[in-house]
Amino acid sequence: MLAFPMLVIDRESLKPFFERVPELFQQHHHDASQDAMGYEELLYRIHRPFTNEMLDVIDEWMGLEQQSYREEDAFRLHLFLLAIRYPDTLLLESLDEVLLGDIKRLSGYLHFTKHTYSIWDEDTRKGLMKLGLNIPETGYADAFIYGSYCASIELIKDLAPFYSFIEHDVPRQRLFQAALASFGRE
Amino acid sequence: MPELIRMRVHIVAVLRTVMSSTAVVQDYTPNFQGWIDEFQEWQTRIGFDPSWLGDYRFEIKFDWDTAGENIEFGDFEGMPKWHRRMQIPQQSIRDAIISMISVQGDTEFASVEQQHHLLESAPTEYDRKSALRIMCEEQRHGWQMAYLLCTHFGEHGIREAMKLLERNSAGNPFRSDGEGERLLGSFNEPIDNWLDFFCFTHFIDRDGKFQLKMLSTSAFKPLAASMGPMLKEESFHLGTGANGLRRIVKAGVIPCAFLQKYINKWVSTGLDLFGVDNSSSAQWAYVYGVKGRFDERETDLDADREHLNEASRMLYYQELEDEMTRMNKARHEGEPEILIPSDKFNRGIGDFADSHYTIEGDAFDGSDAEWESYLASVLPSEQDIKQLSEYLKQDWIQYREWKD
Repeated sequence: MLAFPMLVIDRESLKPFFERVPELFQQHHHDASQDAMGYEELLYRIHRPFTNEMLDVIDEWMGLEQQSYREEDAFRLHLFLLAIRYPDTLLLESLDEVLLGDIKRLSGYLHFTKHTYSIWDEDTRKGLMKLGLNIPETGYADAFIYGSYCASIELIKDLAPFYSFIEHDVPRQRLFQAALASFGRE
Repeated sequence: MPELIRMRVHIVAVLRTVMSSTAVVQDYTPNFQGWIDEFQEWQTRIGFDPSWLGDYRFEIKFDWDTAGENIEFGDFEGMPKWHRRMQIPQQSIRDAIISMISVQGDTEFASVEQQHHLLESAPTEYDRKSALRIMCEEQRHGWQMAYLLCTHFGEHGIREAMKLLERNSAGNPFRSDGEGERLLGSFNEPIDNWLDFFCFTHFIDRDGKFQLKMLSTSAFKPLAASMGPMLKEESFHLGTGANGLRRIVKAGVIPCAFLQKYINKWVSTGLDLFGVDNSSSAQWAYVYGVKGRFDERETDLDADREHLNEASRMLYYQELEDEMTRMNKARHEGEPEILIPSDKFNRGIGDFADSHYTIEGDAFDGSDAEWESYLASVLPSEQDIKQLSEYLKQDWIQYREWKD
């Protein structure tokens, strides 16, 4: 756990959120719009070597239109997904604008290929803001903004007490991202 | 002359007092350091290659926020929690705390002894790394318990911490003759294959969760504060078990009727871990405030102090049934429902120990020979073990990739 980010967070204000994580997670993850079963299937269906078909099913679950990248961009995206290691986000800067233009889509690819990066979601961002973690609004996959978003969720996960960690098959990043999304919507 | 002797005795006594208080300070690091040296020898002795740890480091972790300020139950309720040994009002309470920390630590090291040999036969890289993570964290939990013993309980604590490394699970294939066994039954059982591993993590680590949560409200604050981080890690362990069993059911290679036998085997030993019925030691631990109920902070009901183990066991049993309901949803068409056997079946401890009950909980009226025959039909037999090794050659578990 890094000490510096803890200086910018009021740990007392997190306590009411932590007590509600199980309930908030259930609200979001098991909402019909989230297709919980579909999500959990994707945890198994996406594996190396990544194919365009796998990315298509991620798009489908995310509710996005299928991507239609040029062959060269698609190749670069595949290499990027193989090369990146959590929690690095600086590698995003090696991608072309066409790929960086959609942070939500890219975060979905990262989440399902790694299970550690968090899905970018506007409600989740609002949830973080309510906890005092100011992440700028954006649609662009900026390495620093997305990096801060993931690091903030990681920090919340580190600080959370044991009773926030319910027994579920989803990765812990998803547990907190989904709870933050419900929290952000309120 | 007698006066001189008396003076000398007095001077020696004063010197001892001064030296012993100094010695406590001076010896603290060497004592725990000494334990760490023994720990490294223990790893090698039991067959755990330290290089498997990679960059994992054993850390002492506390969550003081969730540990509570005041004693939450028992006869000292409302008084400040104890931070140090000398604040604990009675020797009997100190002894009870040492005993609890020792038993907890014993189980942590035991599970590593039971499981490490499975790493080379993992069905997937995901499972191998998950098991390795579990073994790292179990060792960290044992390390934390040893730290508490060495830091807070003087010579007695150091001796108990050393004992954690002297015993060796009877379930460890790398065990030498003459080594003492682990303290609790489940932790001396062999874990011969990955089906046993998933059963163990689902049923026995789940018991571990219950024990940790019961200690999380302890009046001894360093013990209570140790439990939060351990519980966070433990949830991954039992999740690995539950998820592993679900993946096996989904794959559909091992029939549910076959799985039922392994579940029968592990549930009864898991239930035994809660201890005897009408337990006076559980009652004393509650009176002292050192070990609460599983739902101590959530319930408004007064504790039934004479049936504390039974109450915790029933909550555990309920959780097993709920988990099995989820697991049964993954069954292939035509497969029979998997059941949690009755809490009366095949018990070694408690009111139902040495009594004959079926897995449905009905009294078994047959002869001893018929009982043995019945047990052979509902528990894994030699033939089942051979059959399992055939299943394990197939795609017996849903594939999951390790993501790094």
